[in-house]
Amino acid sequence: MEDIKAYIESGILELYVLGDVSPEEKLQVEAMALNHPVIKAELDEIERSMEQYAGLNAVEPAEQLRSRVLGSILTNLADDRTFDEVIDKPKDNVVAFASPKTNNFYKYAFAACLALLLASVVGLVSMYNKLQDSNNTIAALQTDKQHFANTVSFKEGELEVLRDASFKFLKLQGTAKSPQSNLTVAWSPVKKKVWIDLKSLQVPDNDKEHQYQLWALVAGKPVDLGVFDKTSDTTDMKEMKSIASADAFAVTLEPRGGSASPTMDQMVVIGKF
Amino acid sequence: MSKKRKISLSEEELVAALRNREKIAIEALYDMYSASLYGVISRIIIDTPTAEDVLQETFVKIWHSFSSYSTEKGRLFTWMVNIARNLAIDKLRSKDFKNQNKNQELENNVTFIDEQINTVYKPELLGVKDLVETLKPDQKVIIELVYFKGFTHVEAADELGIPLGTIKTRLRMAIQQLRKHFN
Repeated sequence: MEDIKAYIESGILELYVLGDVSPEEKLQVEAMALNHPVIKAELDEIERSMEQYAGLNAVEPAEQLRSRVLGSILTNLADDRTFDEVIDKPKDNVVAFASPKTNNFYKYAFAACLALLLASVVGLVSMYNKLQDSNNTIAALQTDKQHFANTVSFKEGELEVLRDASFKFLKLQGTAKSPQSNLTVAWSPVKKKVWIDLKSLQVPDNDKEHQYQLWALVAGKPVDLGVFDKTSDTTDMKEMKSIASADAFAVTLEPRGGSASPTMDQMVVIGKF
Repeated sequence: MSKKRKISLSEEELVAALRNREKIAIEALYDMYSASLYGVISRIIIDTPTAEDVLQETFVKIWHSFSSYSTEKGRLFTWMVNIARNLAIDKLRSKDFKNQNKNQELENNVTFIDEQINTVYKPELLGVKDLVETLKPDQKVIIELVYFKGFTHVEAADELGIPLGTIKTRLRMAIQQLRKHFN
């Protein structure tokens, strides 16, 4: 305890507080203060009194010095804190050039659309015309085809008549009124069908008010078998009304549409079995 | 600026804020201690622009080397005033500053200090007059030389022509006197 008191009274603590000690003495005082609370308390007392003494001798520095001193410290502080943000900035500068490109694209796209539209209209008109032509051709071909089909089926009917053994062929001879005339008639009693061969028809041409009419004589009575015309281009056979039995056939010239009973003095051909 | 209320924190709060590198801490530090530190600096360096430069350097150094301060080694002000005094003495002894001839010759210091302590003290600081009367002249001179002028006690002994032991004893007595006065 005596040692500590002597240490305090040596004045080393005052010199320590005033910063007037060697590095070795400084470490020694700090070690002593750590081990002896009395010395620590003594040091604290000296420090407080010197601090108060300094306060009494304080000199207020000029007003503008405050901002200058704080500025020199806080500027650096701000620099440290904003450093990260500065690195990011260049990234933002890359974006700007896109819009003119887009504008051009839409211009060209619009022009292309117009050109396509025009080409399509022209194409459609031309296609429509071709389609019309094709339709007309098809209609014409269908008409032809129908005609040929009719012709073929008619010719088949004619061939059937020729092949069928049940048909009987009868050559009607001209009467006294018209001795040059004749007509071939084909009749099948089994099938009750009657055909006339217009190619073999040799009669005078009829006018527009009259037609020739074919008759069958059944048990002495005339039966109407239909009318026909004598024209220069008539070359085919013609099927007439059907009849099951007949004794003879005759043709008379009658008013157009035919008559209910034959006009006997206008008979041009007749033939009997 | 002059109307702005000065920031004041307890020493514990201030030390914690300085450790966290908070802006408020350096402002509070300046408001609380700039006058006391400038009192020491301006007594060592008479030229005002140079003294202001040293005050700025002092705060910059306090801010940047704060990690080397520890509360176990003593009070914050003791640590700071030693930085201020050392920077001021370094400036005083630097070649540039000597060439400016703005500093006082060491030989004339004692009479200068006597004049200064009697004429410069501020009337608004109550108790200073009592204090001046409290300290005997030989005690006051030693305090001034060592505390405000940055003399080592060896230099002071040399300056005053007094043995080292006597310097130490007088310095201790002077501080004892201050303690008695402040309590």
